[in-house]
Amino acid sequence: MDDFTCPRCRTSKFQNPSLKMMVNVCGHGLCESCVDLLFLKGSGSCPECKIPLRRNNFRVQLFEDATVEKEVDIRKRVLRDFNKKEEDFTTLKEYNDYLEEVESIIFNLTNNIDVVNTNKRIEQYKRDNKEQIMKNKGKLGRDEYELEEILELEKQMEEQRKAQQAKEESAKKLPQRATKFSTGIQIGRQSNTTFLPVPIDEGPLYTYKPISLPVDGPKPPTTEEIVSRGFINHVRTETEQERAGGFKSIIACSRALQDAMSGLFHSKKSSSVH
Amino acid sequence: MENKLKRYEKIEFLGEGQFATVYKARDVELDTIVAVKKIKIGTRQEADDGINRTALREIKLLQELHHKNLIGLLDVFGHMSNVSLVFDFMDTDLEVIIKDNTIILTTGNIKSYILQTLQGLEYLHLNWILHRDLKPNNLLVNAAGVLKIGDFGLAKLYGSPNRINTHQVVTRWYRAPELLYGAKQYGTCIDMWAVGCILAELLLRVPLFPGDSDLDQLTKIFSVFGNPTEETWPGVKQLSDYIDFKPLPSIPLKNIFTAAGDDLLDLIEAMLVLNPTKRKEASECLQMPFFSNKPAPTLGSKLPLPKSIRTIRDLEKPSLKRKLLDSAEGGTLSKRLLF
Repeated sequence: MDDFTCPRCRTSKFQNPSLKMMVNVCGHGLCESCVDLLFLKGSGSCPECKIPLRRNNFRVQLFEDATVEKEVDIRKRVLRDFNKKEEDFTTLKEYNDYLEEVESIIFNLTNNIDVVNTNKRIEQYKRDNKEQIMKNKGKLGRDEYELEEILELEKQMEEQRKAQQAKEESAKKLPQRATKFSTGIQIGRQSNTTFLPVPIDEGPLYTYKPISLPVDGPKPPTTEEIVSRGFINHVRTETEQERAGGFKSIIACSRALQDAMSGLFHSKKSSSVH
Repeated sequence: MENKLKRYEKIEFLGEGQFATVYKARDVELDTIVAVKKIKIGTRQEADDGINRTALREIKLLQELHHKNLIGLLDVFGHMSNVSLVFDFMDTDLEVIIKDNTIILTTGNIKSYILQTLQGLEYLHLNWILHRDLKPNNLLVNAAGVLKIGDFGLAKLYGSPNRINTHQVVTRWYRAPELLYGAKQYGTCIDMWAVGCILAELLLRVPLFPGDSDLDQLTKIFSVFGNPTEETWPGVKQLSDYIDFKPLPSIPLKNIFTAAGDDLLDLIEAMLVLNPTKRKEASECLQMPFFSNKPAPTLGSKLPLPKSIRTIRDLEKPSLKRKLLDSAEGGTLSKRLLF
């Protein structure tokens, strides 16, 4: 199934998963895009057997084997004319002989055996049974008749069920009406899922308390002092690029000073940790 | 080392990241619940290098940091070639809370979460450390409503003038514009931008700038704040990855955060400034009127949490649940008579 390849463009199902093979009466496959391309004008010839084909006779290939497709096509065409039903024969043997003949005609056409004579046979049969063919076209066979009956029955059942359902629903709806305004707004609580009330009691308001780093050393200068006392002059000023990135030399200066000051005093607390 | 292995009893598997697997465990000695992060060895090359770099960062920095809003590193132990870090156990994170649409976040709740984040961050920045990966997913919350900043795998000391940093940090949605423009030297402002994005996400309940590429991220940012110019952001054109965008007009934040009060909008505006030098620091933000104004930040115990955590808490205190249900249902539960 996967190794479908269009004989014209060599596209396979693997390359194009949406590839659709089409087939015509001759039984040679073509992919959809090739069909669109070749039969732009509505008619053309099969690229393999050169038989003249028409665009609208192309069908999506259902079966893997193209000859099966071809047979299906031919069977359809032949049975359009050979449309006698069992009721048209007096004995079962006659009916069986008739079916046998139809099958042999289809087989011959599918496998290209004696095509000319077979086509003649069909023409002959058509001429002989012209009236009956016309009559049978409008008539339904026994099987079809039974099928129709079943379908009708099913339809009735369906309607019955629908009516029953509607009845049940309307019965169910009645008590609900009392909880609804005409506008559709519902009265009272409908569901159990309510949000818990937002707690009203609050904690204390927040006040900012500045935090500081324990330095264990002399207090490092503040940002203002770094500038006013000239510490900043000893540090390379930031480049424009660094400033644009949010880096300022005062940061580096401040950190260097802090690093230098911290840990200068000996305190018992820090020594007991180690 | 052997006794350390026995000290932590594995309870359940919590999750797996790129560098580690996390288990919930019981500390037998102290009888507390902890989270054990077992660092993966990773590739052969990484194993040759020794200990995983992110784990090393976490150990190095967290050992010296002690703040109620930073995840506490309780213990480190090794077994074979594996290293495991023991952390405070946290029940959930802010991402879960934001995505849980049964939770209503009031201004008081949001204030509390952001306040705790900024307090942790203020301490972190004071210690010359950049977190560099702030996002709702890394803001952990425990059942008591305490928020702790977690995952220090990308954290780094800053303030050295000669060190070049990478700009490929911070999850893209929370990445500051100067990082997207390729700045190699940056400061605390990159964390502040991320907090601004998180605050916006708490309000909107969806990410503010969900860009799907670095370029798209900048487009999304500029579609709100307009393009940066040399006047609004001096030196922006000098940044290594600078690109010109077609001029976009800025939108007033009021139109995006329709439900936010003026003091809250001021805070967002202070944190989400394109020019990093104009962006306010954590301590400056904490002094803004939003935090001292009413409504007060919600107490930790009253912060809304996902249902799964709440039910465990309520089992411990059934009376609280009944009280809440009573007021919600108009007293459908029969009350005990009190004389």
